[in-house]
Amino acid sequence: MKKSYVIVCLLLLSALSPLFSQTPNRVTIKGIVSDTTSEKMSFAYVMLLNPTDSTMLNYIRGDENGAFEFKNIKNGKYILKVSYINYLPLSTTIGPFDKEVNDLGKVKIKPISKELMEVVVRTARAPLTIKGDTIEYDARAFKVPEGSTVEDLLRRLPGLEVDADGNIKAQGKDVKKVLVDGKTFFGDDPKSATKNLGAETISKVQVYNDKSEQAKLTGVDDGKKEKAINLELKDEFKKGKFGKITGAVGNEGRWAGKGNYNKFNKNEQFSIIGYGNNINETGLNWNDYGEFKGSTQWQNDNGDFGFIAWGDQRFFFEGDGLGYFDGRGFTKNAGAGVNYNFDNKKTKFTSSYFYNQTKLDLNTISNRETFQQNGSFFSKDTTAQNNFMGNHSIGMRYEKMIDSSNTIIAKANIRAGANDRNNSNINGLYRQETVLDNLWDINNIYNSNSLRINTSAIYRYKFKKNKARNFAASIGLNMNNNDNDEAIKSRNTIFNSSNITDIIRATSLVNLTNLKTNQLKASLLFLEPLSKKVFWETFYNFSSDNNNTFRESKNVLESGSRVDSLSSYFENNILYNRVGSSLRYSFDGKNISVGLAGVQYNLSGDVFLDKTSALIQKIDKKYTGITPYFDSNFEFNNTYLNINYIYGLNAPQLNDLQPVVNNSSPFYITKGNPNLSPERLHLMGLSFQKYNPGTFGYIYVQYNFKLYDSQIIYNQSINDNFVTTTTPENLSGGTNHDIYTSGSYPLIKTKLTARINANFGISNTPGYINNVLNETKGNNRSVGFNFNLTPDPKFFMDLGARFGTNSYRYSIQTAQNQRFTNTNLNASLKWNFMKKTFLESNFNSIINKNEKLNFYQNQPIFNASVRRLFLKENRLEMRLAAFDLLNKRLGISQRATANFVSNEVAGTLARYFMLSATFNVKGHEDKLSKNNF
Amino acid sequence: MKYLKIVLITLFLSNLSFSQSTEGVVSYNITNNWVKRIKPLNYLSKIKREKYEYQYMSEGDWKLKKLLYFNENESRYIDSEEKTEDELKYGYSFKKEKYEIRKNHKQKTQNDIIEMLGKVYLIDDSLKTQSWKIKNDIKDVAGHICMNAVREDTLKMQKITAWFALDIPIPAGPERNYGLPGLILELDVNDGGMHIEATNVSFKKLTNEMEYPKKLKGKKITEDAYQTLITNHVKDKIKAEEPLYWGIPY
Repeated sequence: MKKSYVIVCLLLLSALSPLFSQTPNRVTIKGIVSDTTSEKMSFAYVMLLNPTDSTMLNYIRGDENGAFEFKNIKNGKYILKVSYINYLPLSTTIGPFDKEVNDLGKVKIKPISKELMEVVVRTARAPLTIKGDTIEYDARAFKVPEGSTVEDLLRRLPGLEVDADGNIKAQGKDVKKVLVDGKTFFGDDPKSATKNLGAETISKVQVYNDKSEQAKLTGVDDGKKEKAINLELKDEFKKGKFGKITGAVGNEGRWAGKGNYNKFNKNEQFSIIGYGNNINETGLNWNDYGEFKGSTQWQNDNGDFGFIAWGDQRFFFEGDGLGYFDGRGFTKNAGAGVNYNFDNKKTKFTSSYFYNQTKLDLNTISNRETFQQNGSFFSKDTTAQNNFMGNHSIGMRYEKMIDSSNTIIAKANIRAGANDRNNSNINGLYRQETVLDNLWDINNIYNSNSLRINTSAIYRYKFKKNKARNFAASIGLNMNNNDNDEAIKSRNTIFNSSNITDIIRATSLVNLTNLKTNQLKASLLFLEPLSKKVFWETFYNFSSDNNNTFRESKNVLESGSRVDSLSSYFENNILYNRVGSSLRYSFDGKNISVGLAGVQYNLSGDVFLDKTSALIQKIDKKYTGITPYFDSNFEFNNTYLNINYIYGLNAPQLNDLQPVVNNSSPFYITKGNPNLSPERLHLMGLSFQKYNPGTFGYIYVQYNFKLYDSQIIYNQSINDNFVTTTTPENLSGGTNHDIYTSGSYPLIKTKLTARINANFGISNTPGYINNVLNETKGNNRSVGFNFNLTPDPKFFMDLGARFGTNSYRYSIQTAQNQRFTNTNLNASLKWNFMKKTFLESNFNSIINKNEKLNFYQNQPIFNASVRRLFLKENRLEMRLAAFDLLNKRLGISQRATANFVSNEVAGTLARYFMLSATFNVKGHEDKLSKNNF
Repeated sequence: MKYLKIVLITLFLSNLSFSQSTEGVVSYNITNNWVKRIKPLNYLSKIKREKYEYQYMSEGDWKLKKLLYFNENESRYIDSEEKTEDELKYGYSFKKEKYEIRKNHKQKTQNDIIEMLGKVYLIDDSLKTQSWKIKNDIKDVAGHICMNAVREDTLKMQKITAWFALDIPIPAGPERNYGLPGLILELDVNDGGMHIEATNVSFKKLTNEMEYPKKLKGKKITEDAYQTLITNHVKDKIKAEEPLYWGIPY
């Protein structure tokens, strides 16, 4: 009614227009904002909008009497929009005008019902959308219990009534129609949608007037309006899925297959993956792993509170299913997994299962020169190995934010593994390089089964009054059980023996080992804000490790009699307590922490000859120490600086404490030392990083320093038959310096980037060789350059070179000083040479050199492939690939330590060709991509 | 009778608010989401964007707190010194780049301080009109009834949605948004790429909060020069196939 008043005014105005001969260029528009009872509305917003796109062109505020006046505005058509609190915004079209001053009179606005304002807008804080007379509101603001139907939701909405049978009334009128996303939902019964759809699927509820069926049929508006409801579905209930499958065949029986499938909606992710091949892909790559794990791949929380304690990572394992291949041998691989994630911000749940297995065939030839205080001896080793490894792993994690101050996290990981290994080895020992002195022929069969279970729970509490005040507690239970048996057969021929019975000695042993570890750990943390910038953190860590090692050695040649010298039962317990406190200053990019912790280790161990026999040795040790800590980070102008220092105190490893002889390799025997004390060391780090977002230039420098107060060193003694026995022992001294730097600079922005990185390390490691102290000085240097060229979106190229030198100098045998170099040259190109056809190739040449050992090896590896995309959305990719075209690949490694240098060559997969087809549901990219942003 | 009551309440409320609602400070909570920022950048491959979303969907949020001081003529938008939950959670304070947005709505001038691309820029210029489209939605933000308006930033590929208060007639807002009949209390860029919401509006007499920092190092530029810097940067990032907002304020 009131609106029609305005319209009548406007009609009158336009009707009068012919009376005026000229239409003015500039006009004044005025009026008075009032409500339906003619009450004047003070200070309303009055806007003029562009009628085509509602862009605001001008606005004013009415005065206290509701009067408004736009002066001297361009004549034309406008939308006049008036808005006022608790009133429906009014939009009406005005103009163009025939006279200069135009009084619109009273512009009347209608109030929004109090119920809607109070319930919907104020209480539920839901937005109202006004479309003429239709009001639509956001259903997400109305909380209903989980599992509720739309009917339950509608009952809560103001202006709607739902009776016991489910009949709906809106503003007192029957609702005849319920649409879902504008469409009829399973027939005409409005109840079918409201009773069947879950409330959580709805984002918006619109209540509007529909013309009666009769009016629609006849086309004559009979004035009868029916109420209708439209339910808009949430976007997140529109689901997604993706997946791909690859099959590949090659020459010489090479094959590979891989597939994955993922399904998701806003809260859930589900994925399955499987692979199998004989081309040395032992597991998932990072790309596949990321897709498999979905949004939970980075979740990592252990309950060990407090500042970093150096060492102790015994129970840490994540990343199941990721493949790692060391470049040696031939493998057959298979694996499969399933993953499910749920995340609605308050509750996060992740679970996954993965099985993977690898069968390895490995043949190696290695040479080693071992230094003694006078001269050295040589060994040549030929090994053939068959190795099977299989692992089942299950992981689960649950996180719940109970309310704004309470959070709990619970985790469990179970891993069951089997390892069967068959190893045969011929080892020759030479006093001079050519005179064979001692020959070992060893056959070793090893089977092991292991089960590991890790569980932990973390509770965090944020105080309500001061959210910076925090308390957290954690508990963890870990268990590890490993059973293994091995059969060692060996024959040792000593060529220079004077005693005839010593010339050939054969042994055949069966060793059974059972290892059991149980760990209970707990941590507490309290964080108190001392001011806005200073925080005080106090923590306590506790752990108790119980270890049982049972080892029984039997001599097969003497009808299975027990070998006492190699058998034992060992029980030990490590009790760990750490209490610490630190102060942290944290403000505007400056973060500085200073702390101190008291650490105590109680190590007790009992050694028995057998499970039932009497105690033969008792170890009881207590170590205490104070460890300071310092960490500082400064951030300024895209520059980051970090300086840190820790004093590390780390208890000896269990294996190193057990006075048990391990003779798996008869010429390399290890033996524990129950008298070990913890490692103590100073660790210092410094890093600097700068990025210029204007030029895209970047530089990074890092320096680390280690100084040992007490280091665990593996002392070696070598007997006349060249059998090496190593025993751990504490030694003071030993330093390590490491500098790493990298930088990149775009020579031509987005087209040519130069990168450089360099590494420089010096180490000084003491050690005893046959009771003579030897100091090994290591010096590693390497520098690499790289040019990345992307002149055209269809052509990318990369050129790089890297030069490295390692040198070792020995204090007791300076004649044995070593220096070896490795040079690496590489080039790669990607070329999109025809529509949807790509050529990709890389060349990598690795040159290893050791002048003293007369070792020189050049391995130029050249790979190339051509691929083409087919089908709609490029869903199919066909690829022909050639690996190691020059047939040069060998697994080569060079090593040098305190008293030996060695090199090894292992047979591995060289030249092969493969044809593969990949079908991807989402399609493949049809252009080259510069990065993964 | 019921009707009369509403009118009376309304009148009372409006009188109460209008009597002192032209000077004070707004506290904003800002949620930045990296995943939602990637989503609309259609020059990056769709396959990559979808994969990024799948893998980082629960990681993206980063929260900040900012303040907007306002009086009848001026507004100043700065970082709040209060720690955010993220800063408390990680126990680490990140360096905030200088970002101070200062507008004089009466004289139609701006003196913004923006640190980007490794430099501090002082943008001294007149205030240009922003092209807002007024919508028909209303909602409550921090106890104030607000109306909906949208605009687009074609250069940065942003769709900006603002909610401005019907009872605070100040044409100011968070970030570089202004020119609506009422104070902007909620703002959304690209459906959650950045979401700003007022948690509290407190009306009080301001003392020295509007004062310009005395020592100011930086390069003075015009708004056009600022836009040119952004344009060139966006071009570079598109060529490099990286998100365009890396290195500049979102």
